[in-house]
Amino acid sequence: MLSTLSQCEFSMGKTLLVYDMNLREMENYEKIYKEIECSIAGAHEKIAECKKQILQAKRIRKNRQEYDALAKVIQHHPDRHETLKELEALGKELEHLSHIKESVEDKLELRRKQFHVLLSTIHELQQTLENDEKLSEVEEAQETSMETDPKP
Amino acid sequence: MERAVLHAVPLGQMEVFQALQRLHMTIFSQSVSPCGKFLAAGNNYGQIAIFSLSAALSSEAKEESKKPMVTFQAHDGPVYSMVSTDRHLLSAGDGEVKAWLWAEILKKGCKELWRRQPPYRTSLEVPEINALLLVPKENSLILAGGDCQLHSMDLETGTFMRALRGHTDYIHCLALRERSPEVLSGGEDGAVRLWDLRTAKEVQTIEVYKHEECSRPHNGRWIGCLATDSDWMVCGGGPALTLWHLRSSTPTTVFPMRAPQKHVTFYQDLILSAGQGRCVNQWQLSGELKAQVPGSSPGLLSLSLNQQPAAPECKVLTAAGNSCRVDVFTNLGYRAFSLSF
Repeated sequence: MLSTLSQCEFSMGKTLLVYDMNLREMENYEKIYKEIECSIAGAHEKIAECKKQILQAKRIRKNRQEYDALAKVIQHHPDRHETLKELEALGKELEHLSHIKESVEDKLELRRKQFHVLLSTIHELQQTLENDEKLSEVEEAQETSMETDPKP
Repeated sequence: MERAVLHAVPLGQMEVFQALQRLHMTIFSQSVSPCGKFLAAGNNYGQIAIFSLSAALSSEAKEESKKPMVTFQAHDGPVYSMVSTDRHLLSAGDGEVKAWLWAEILKKGCKELWRRQPPYRTSLEVPEINALLLVPKENSLILAGGDCQLHSMDLETGTFMRALRGHTDYIHCLALRERSPEVLSGGEDGAVRLWDLRTAKEVQTIEVYKHEECSRPHNGRWIGCLATDSDWMVCGGGPALTLWHLRSSTPTTVFPMRAPQKHVTFYQDLILSAGQGRCVNQWQLSGELKAQVPGSSPGLLSLSLNQQPAAPECKVLTAAGNSCRVDVFTNLGYRAFSLSF
């Protein structure tokens, strides 16, 4: 009888211990469960954060690509500095050439005037020469008529 | 035995007729409901079918979820274009625009709310309406199509306010430039015209076929698709698909796609386009092809991105074209499944 009693006590003690153990295991599991829930919530937040970041990054990429596309088109056109320099050089050439044109025109005017003077003096000389010839002809005619007159 | 044979004959004819109808079906237009959970698709027989996206995307989707919830005969001719406002579905095709209440359609009561016809110059032929565009700031609807004009209709009163003339041939597509409220229209005459809504005048004209980089004379000069992002515009069709900078009217990138594209849209940092090939093409703004995802139809005519904020779980890309199927892409990388008429 004592042995069966002690056996019963022993099995009771065992089941009590197992019961304690199960309770503690349950607590442990609850703790782990809560921790996992927290980490899931944290992961959700991180995912949302990352999604926002992806959107932002995509926007940035889009802006960069738009910039690249415009830059490519702009590159096709010639550089502004070079065009300005070419414009300046052309302007200087234009000035230089206009100076030359002015001086040539002045010379031309001068020569024209000189020729005009020359031609008019030639004309005058011609006139005077013709006048002189006419005068000398008239004088000769008068002389011959005077010579023929006293003869008869 | 005899009775069974007698019954089989008329049913067989019906089935054959339906099968033939489905074989020759083309889906021209799509529109997402304001709640984001339903998709309307309009085909060349004038029917509109409503699919439940939330049912088809849910984890317990069956074969029937991929069939329409309700189909009704909306127009006598093909339904070329559809848009959705907060409560209405507007559909247009054979010269008239009809409005339907989404709430009623979902309850399978398919009666049209109103129908309007824009004032056409000739009353003999009724030109088709190829494109509809909603202008939320003015609460108006812009229609464009076969009569080469853009008609602007006030949604509250139903009156047609203005007609914008300028195109010399029929108009294929419309797009809204939000910042300065301007409408872009592209048509068969090869020009993309920008119209200012307040002054009702043509602000800018871009003749795409005149630019050497993108013109493809063997395809023609028609502009089949337009999309705009306020400063930029993509257009394609006969000429190659090109990205334009609107302020300087210069083509910046030509996308190397041989097939003419029928629908193009901006999405995040990509440009999605679809057209005569089987695939939905994803391009980066630099001109590189990022991905080509094949669909189930031999040619695609419309793309629709469900970006309604009320249903983020139904955020999908749907593509439809020369078949009775609407492909659903949950992730832009592959085709998840197809809804079918």
